[in-house]
Amino acid sequence: MSIDTVKEKKLLITLVGPPNSGKTTLFNLLSGKKHKTVNYPGATIEYSISSFLEQYGINANLMDSPGIISLIPASPDEKVTIDNLYIHPEFGKPDLIIVTADASQLSRHLLLARQIIDSGFKTIVVLTMNDLLAEKSFSIDDKELSVLLNCEIIKFDPRKSDGINTLIDIIKSNLNGDTKTINKRVRITDDDILCIYREIEVIEKHVLIDLNKDNHEDPRVAKANRELVIAGAGSMIKLPDKLTVNIDKILLHKYWGLFIFIFVMSLMFTSIFWLASPVMGLVDDSIQALGNLVTDTFGNYWYSDLISKGIIGGFGVVLVFLPQILILFFVLGILEDSGYLARGAMIIDRPLSMLGLNGRSFVPMLSGFACAIPAIMAARTIQNKRERYLTIFIIPLMSCSARIPVYGLLLAFLFPGKYFLSGLILSLIYVTGVIISLIVAGIINRYKKTFLKFEDNSSFIMELPVYRVPKITNVIKNTYSNAVQYLQKAGPTIITFSLIIWLLTYFPNNAPDTISKENGNTASISKLIESERISNSYAAQIGKTIEPVMRPLGLDWRVGVSLIATFAAREVFVSSLALMFKVTETDDNMSATLIKEMKNAKISGTNEYLFTTATSAGLIVFFMLALQCISTIAITKKETGGWRIPILQLIIYTGSAYLLAFVTVNGLRFIGIN
Amino acid sequence: MTVADLNSGQRAIIKDIDFSHPSSNRVVEYGFTPGQELQVLNKSIFNDPLSVSLRGALIAIRKNDARCIEVILANEH
Ligand SMILES: Nc1nc2c(ncn2[C@@H]2O[C@H](COP(=O)(O)OP(=O)(O)O)[C@@H](O)[C@H]2O)c(=O)[nH]1
Ligand SMILES: [Mg+2]
Repeated sequence: MSIDTVKEKKLLITLVGPPNSGKTTLFNLLSGKKHKTVNYPGATIEYSISSFLEQYGINANLMDSPGIISLIPASPDEKVTIDNLYIHPEFGKPDLIIVTADASQLSRHLLLARQIIDSGFKTIVVLTMNDLLAEKSFSIDDKELSVLLNCEIIKFDPRKSDGINTLIDIIKSNLNGDTKTINKRVRITDDDILCIYREIEVIEKHVLIDLNKDNHEDPRVAKANRELVIAGAGSMIKLPDKLTVNIDKILLHKYWGLFIFIFVMSLMFTSIFWLASPVMGLVDDSIQALGNLVTDTFGNYWYSDLISKGIIGGFGVVLVFLPQILILFFVLGILEDSGYLARGAMIIDRPLSMLGLNGRSFVPMLSGFACAIPAIMAARTIQNKRERYLTIFIIPLMSCSARIPVYGLLLAFLFPGKYFLSGLILSLIYVTGVIISLIVAGIINRYKKTFLKFEDNSSFIMELPVYRVPKITNVIKNTYSNAVQYLQKAGPTIITFSLIIWLLTYFPNNAPDTISKENGNTASISKLIESERISNSYAAQIGKTIEPVMRPLGLDWRVGVSLIATFAAREVFVSSLALMFKVTETDDNMSATLIKEMKNAKISGTNEYLFTTATSAGLIVFFMLALQCISTIAITKKETGGWRIPILQLIIYTGSAYLLAFVTVNGLRFIGIN
Repeated sequence: MTVADLNSGQRAIIKDIDFSHPSSNRVVEYGFTPGQELQVLNKSIFNDPLSVSLRGALIAIRKNDARCIEVILANEH
């Protein structure tokens, strides 16, 4: 939850509305924030608060809330959402509620507005999506609606700022005077809802203006006409967006639908590698150049080693894979904005429900490819507790973007220069992760009595939003801010751990006097010094104690230390390898050098190669399964309210990761692939 | 007859809601109320869930949830 300058006495304005009605867009406009807006019901999952932009001159806090369609909670979580609306534990009672309602779906969206008004909140209603209604040649008589609802109404497109001043004036005038709302919790029954709907249907007839018919006529005739026209059952307004219906004929086709769905998903995974490969080399070269520059300017001292290898090298090897992460975010953004995600949820609801999941598990699982933390939070949109916990349980098996650098490095090592093949293997890794997660879900679902002991009504009802051409500028903006967030989150951890590992590998810095300076050139001498320094370092001393665990996987203490460091962030694996194998100054770019060093590396004290096809494959398997992320453990504990699930995950996933990596390495060796 | 029994493309008018069904609350909140006309547009693989056009919106609903919506077929044209 983001809290900006929240002061005790400030007034509170809360945005409330059904999912996809434009709350977050309006919130962003009024507060100048850049929260994510998504064409999918259930994108906002937490209350967030901010002050108004200074230029509007409103001294109040504005709160964005998760979408609800009615004040009757359907699940414990929704109950919390609704209770928080009446009185928020941190921010108190709202002084004013702004209800957003989609004008093109007035009869459904007024339900909530009506309930809010009836509960005694001081309310204004913002009608959004008037452009969509106009496409159907209708408009809404907001004056009339205002009278009928007994509340102020304004038509407004929160994506633009036209007419913002009127909105601001209305907000201000509603904040003046007696702002004490006398909201009381009224019990709303099914009958009440039916009743409200009946009223709304009458209201709708009064306020809808048919733009084709009403234009040239006397307003009174027009109004009478309206009531006649709208009363017909086949009225235009009841028809959904035509284009959307036509696209759905293909995308929701009984058989093609699933086929296209699988195609879209696989395309997403493969494009990560294919689209990124041209850019990667560029990033790589520039970082290497920077590192070289540092060594050249500062000379061969410990601090130039620290900067060029510890910081630029450690962080840089991870940065090389940023283009791939950006492309993942970009493709996800396009999917989110198009309106396809809700269709995806519908298409795989049935298959998922056979495994004890829900169609609503799809979007959390998909965002798990970016990062498990928001994904686990997004699981809140699943009403059934058993399905929600099961979704949370399997999310860590989705290959998150932090694993991209690891896979990227290992794939580049295994298939140098073969981008097409690497792309295919990468999607295979993703798909295998998904398949394993489904198997896990299926197994747990069979023994659900022992694992997840609650029974709720399982249901799937979801609005399918109108298709939209994704706004590329928006998607790019979102991708950019995602990337910044990614760097802000992973950056400090990577740098800190790079420093720690640099320290551990540099010191105690026993000057080896056994090396004679008679033979060999300076380059090979400095290399000898370096390897001597590392094998006597503190890191080696720590690493040697865990070496027995690593040996069965064909790995040594250096990889072991790197693996331990991944618990801070998975990317650290790559940066720590770069430090362990001392990627030194060369003309080649950084990852090429690292790969060369990896090729030559031998398990310390033996003549065995460290990175072989078998051991690299084993490492990939390990990373696919292991739960190595402290933040994921923490958020799972928070969202499930206990240690039970995260600890089960840690044991099951990390245990089987080790086991399966062992099987992979030795299986491959057995069939002759070393 | 319930919405779950409709074929793709069929129109129907909601007659009643079975309030003993655990999903009935949700269903009503989404706007399935007696008297409304709806049309089943698409069915997903395994014929479940359905996408339904209602009140100008498209709603995906599982067959099991749709069982609480009792309908009568609308006259064609
Ligand atoms: N056509 C149209 N789209 C809008 C309007 N207002 C918001 N949107 C879009 O509707 C989608 C949902 O908006 P969002 O603010 O995330 O809705 P929320 O779920 O209520 O927070 C976004 O893609 C917005 O760009 C509007 O007035 N007209
Ligand atoms: Mg939102």
